[in-house]
Amino acid sequence: MKRTFLYIVALVLTIAATAQTLNVKVGSVIYQFPAAQTGEMTYSDSETVTIMGRTFSLSDIDVMTVDEASVTDNEVTVSYDGSSASVTVAGNVAQYVTPTISGAHVSILQTNIGSVDDDEITYVLSGTTTDGEFALDGSYKCTISLAGVTLMNPSGPTINISNKKRIQISAKNGTVNTLTDGADANESWKGCIYSKGQIQLQGKGSLTVNGNTKHAIKSGDYITVKNLTLTVKSTAGDGISCNKYFAMNSGDITISADDDGIQCDLEDDDAVTGESTDHEDENSGNIYIQGGTLNISTSAVGSKGVKAAGTLYINETSATTVITVTNSGGVDTSDASDLVASACLKSDKAIDISAGTLTLTNSGQGGRAINSDGTLTISGGNIIAQAQGTNYGSSGGQGGFRPGGWGGGSSSSSHKYAKGVKADGNITITGGIINIYSKSHEGLESKGTITISSGQVYVQANDDAINAASHITVSGGYVCGYSTGNDGLDSNGNMYIKGGLVYAICSGSPEVALDANTEGGYKLYVDGGTIIAIGGLEGGSSLSQSCYSANSWSKNTWYALTVGSDTFAFKTPSSGGSGIVVSGYSQPTLKSGVTVSSGNSIFDGMGYTDAGISGGSMVSLSSYSGGGGFGPGGGGGFPGGWH
Amino acid sequence: MKKILFILMALAGALTVQAEEYAYLTFETTDGAKVSVDVSSLTLTISGNTLTTGSQTFTLSNLSKMYFSNSNETTDIEEITTATLDEAADIYDLQGYKVTKEQMRRGVYIVKTKSKTYKMIVK
Repeated sequence: MKRTFLYIVALVLTIAATAQTLNVKVGSVIYQFPAAQTGEMTYSDSETVTIMGRTFSLSDIDVMTVDEASVTDNEVTVSYDGSSASVTVAGNVAQYVTPTISGAHVSILQTNIGSVDDDEITYVLSGTTTDGEFALDGSYKCTISLAGVTLMNPSGPTINISNKKRIQISAKNGTVNTLTDGADANESWKGCIYSKGQIQLQGKGSLTVNGNTKHAIKSGDYITVKNLTLTVKSTAGDGISCNKYFAMNSGDITISADDDGIQCDLEDDDAVTGESTDHEDENSGNIYIQGGTLNISTSAVGSKGVKAAGTLYINETSATTVITVTNSGGVDTSDASDLVASACLKSDKAIDISAGTLTLTNSGQGGRAINSDGTLTISGGNIIAQAQGTNYGSSGGQGGFRPGGWGGGSSSSSHKYAKGVKADGNITITGGIINIYSKSHEGLESKGTITISSGQVYVQANDDAINAASHITVSGGYVCGYSTGNDGLDSNGNMYIKGGLVYAICSGSPEVALDANTEGGYKLYVDGGTIIAIGGLEGGSSLSQSCYSANSWSKNTWYALTVGSDTFAFKTPSSGGSGIVVSGYSQPTLKSGVTVSSGNSIFDGMGYTDAGISGGSMVSLSSYSGGGGFGPGGGGGFPGGWH
Repeated sequence: MKKILFILMALAGALTVQAEEYAYLTFETTDGAKVSVDVSSLTLTISGNTLTTGSQTFTLSNLSKMYFSNSNETTDIEEITTATLDEAADIYDLQGYKVTKEQMRRGVYIVKTKSKTYKMIVK
């Protein structure tokens, strides 16, 4: 068997090595015609010869040779070597490909309007130059295969595609490829890689794109990414900028951008659509991150890690999704009447997160981790969202108590507040593990409603931890709102606690743990669930489920609340409002100073569900009817921050 | 192992089809005459109105086509010199009229010598 195997291998190698090829050399271009494909090659009027549909002027031909060179159908190779470049064109596509070479600047005119031998044309780029490019115009899709190319163009894009059709840019397996453009103050070109048409970035090699004039990668149409290990550095614009939609299905992308990491706009010349089947003719402005690892750091004022004109979808439908975004940009004040806050994730329409591991950190002044101009829906994933910056246009704190329980409110034209997660529309959480920290202002804020029915939500903030301009409803899941400067949960409409577990901490009187807009004619309704409220409840609440209270609590102490057979252990903060209110579907018991030996850790380590405890002492609870005053509360001092 | 063997055999088969070997590159002139040249390490250069490959030179204006071939398709063309014509016993035009070499104008003629008969084109 081994011998047969060796014979066949030898046969294959022999055959592969003996292919006959007619090479027609015209300047630095060699057209390679497999002898088996040429058929009759016709001469005409002593002026031309036509081979496989390609007509050559005889005076242009330097030489023709016949050798054993192998030819891959549909393939055009471009080899860069210092200040020059050479091109080979496979015979079956010779009639459609006209290269022009000047130094190492290669420009291709591709004239086919359909597939050639049932395939598209592939351009294979290799070699090195410090002053070259690959430009292509045409009217049919093609592939650019990067086979170990280092391409620098000080005076324009490195890859410049005028063809409006789909261009697949693929890094060959195991190859390292680097593209760098020069810096042009006049921004004469739009990207180090530029295409008027769609770009599909893929391949199992690596590609580094250094953009120094505008964007690193720019398409006038959609961009998709699959498999590729892509490193993008943009010193003057976005890392990746496209229109219509952006989709990442897998791969590993690292972006360091002066402006936005990934930006997707609508195409103004086309009708706006929603998501379409297979994204056919889609002009949604949506961004789909469906798998892969994405690391983005941005630093410009008003910049966004990921910015969608449409909806930003994050899930794991294609592969595991890991997203890390850091933003230090701060507020863009170039238009004093329209300040622009920076954000890790931003959508002009909506954000929908159903899976993935997200670590989002904004250290810029007035910055947000997540910012949606529309709705925010979270149904899964593991999210850490941090706003570490100070507020812009304020003293840096939350500004103290606002009559009626107002939270931070919206940023005025002269202010931008640093917030963990903000949505102008409704926020709906039906799953996921979400940890939000806001150093200077609100943690989770909606200009509409907030509805939580499942998942784990932990919010620590210097202003209201959780704030809604309208109603807040909790019907399930685990929710912790921990404010060091205002209310734990603050609703400017009604607040409905129907189920789940709510652990709320306010900073101290006159704030409360659970605050509804009583002054505005709204109420807090406690109809179910398990509640621990350090700092008490809004006065005038409707408590259809009995509540109980203790006048004092000990700081930094583990407590255990048992309702029926369920025990929830929680750690008290280093400071907070006075008194503690608890509630459950049956009369709860509360123990102080317990030792937790088992359970499921939640709320960034501040709580355990199904807790196994020992020790501790019973806390005496009294019936609570709402709005009762408490004595002085727990200890003072600002906590040490995120832990 | 069987699968790899199968793939290699299929590949070998496919390549066999693709890698048909040609021994000649045949040139055909406008008068239908053919000259086959050996393709091994063949180089064709063009200069002015001539195409040269090895010892063969073609006038571009006379070339009609070229193609790869497996056999030598060179037609039975021999060089005819004035001495050949001097040896000619008889010369006929295509209408069968006997002519002298001085009467030969543009056209096709049958030239008979003692040893051989030629078909000759006068241009």
